Amino acid sequence: MKKYRQTESPDIYSSECEALLVSPDELSAYIDKELPVWKRHLIRRHLKKCEICADRVQRLQQTDSFLRHAGAVDVSDDFLSGVMARASEAALHQRQHDSLRSHVARFVETSLGWTRHLSTLMGSLRYNIRTRSPVYIFILTFAVFTMVGVTLYPPSGDKLLEESHGLELNAEKLISFEVIQPEPPKRLLTTYLQGE
Amino acid sequence: MFVSDEDLMMKCGKGDIGAFELLVRRYQNPLINYIHRSIDDYHRSEDLSQETFLRVFKSANRYEPTASFRSWLYTIATNLCRNEIRNRSRRNTCSLEGLVEEGEDVHHTEIMRDTRYLPDILLEKKEQRQMIRKALAQLPENQRVALTLVTYQDLRYEEVAEILGCSVGAVKALIHRARQKMKKLLIKAGIGEERVNEKI
Ligand SMILES: [Zn+2]
Repeated sequence: MKKYRQTESPDIYSSECEALLVSPDELSAYIDKELPVWKRHLIRRHLKKCEICADRVQRLQQTDSFLRHAGAVDVSDDFLSGVMARASEAALHQRQHDSLRSHVARFVETSLGWTRHLSTLMGSLRYNIRTRSPVYIFILTFAVFTMVGVTLYPPSGDKLLEESHGLELNAEKLISFEVIQPEPPKRLLTTYLQGE
Repeated sequence: MFVSDEDLMMKCGKGDIGAFELLVRRYQNPLINYIHRSIDDYHRSEDLSQETFLRVFKSANRYEPTASFRSWLYTIATNLCRNEIRNRSRRNTCSLEGLVEEGEDVHHTEIMRDTRYLPDILLEKKEQRQMIRKALAQLPENQRVALTLVTYQDLRYEEVAEILGCSVGAVKALIHRARQKMKKLLIKAGIGEERVNEKI
């Protein structure tokens, strides 16, 4: 088994190589085809003239080629089915999680909606108060009158009850009148006889 | 008709489990090899590959095709490998050298297929593979990640830059330094030049 040649050219580029390649890294990029076309063309031309650089490129290619023979492993037969089973399980979990989250989100949204309506109402009221708008004055007057009215004149429901109570009393009076009403005085037998 | 990884990923995000299966089929072999080269333990490589795919699946609905799918996949895998190596060194139960011996298993079918009739060559290849893996394990982490991704996963420098979170220029330097170091390590390991020359 032959070895890499130990007598290596020193790691110094001539000024021409340095000017052309900018840095030694460019040679690695050259073998990986990572350079723009114009630069690749330039390096290719340089390699024909410069033995040092040509040697370097060859060594880099050797290393690369050797690395590629490091062998490969194969996945086991049940690898795919294992991954797919775990993915399906994860998908199921995700779906359950999502449905729960959407429920919570809907609830929060509804509550937020109500709060928003309320705050809009309060906001407009506050605006009306601040600007003393006729709308506000009307609403306020109406509210004050309603409150005073309610205080002075209790709701009609009570009145009705009272009325019906009054009727009952009158009926009682009638009955008692009937009972108390004195009967016409019975003519005495003597007066009757006297009249005869 | 070929559907791009990114399109499959978008479908997967909409709950298409068939699209996900296609992605797994596409990347299961490259991914397990990448992880295996990073942590050198076949069974853990399978676990971590599965974990990588599962993470891809779970975050599919948040995926936006700003970066290539490959970079994204290998970013997840690289992070998992880093954690694995960190945990391992914290546990400190087994040295990487020991793992290289232990990790040498029967799954190297690619090499075995064409050389099984030549036990000597097989042994030589097995030794060579061990040496290469040992050498790779000796590289600084970022150099190893960059070199592995470019050499074995055929990623572009730009994609490696995305994975490592650095510039393309920095990747260029990393790759070059990694190759230089690998060359020295291989010479030290006494790996032949003749065989390599045949292949070029
Ligand atoms: Zn030169």
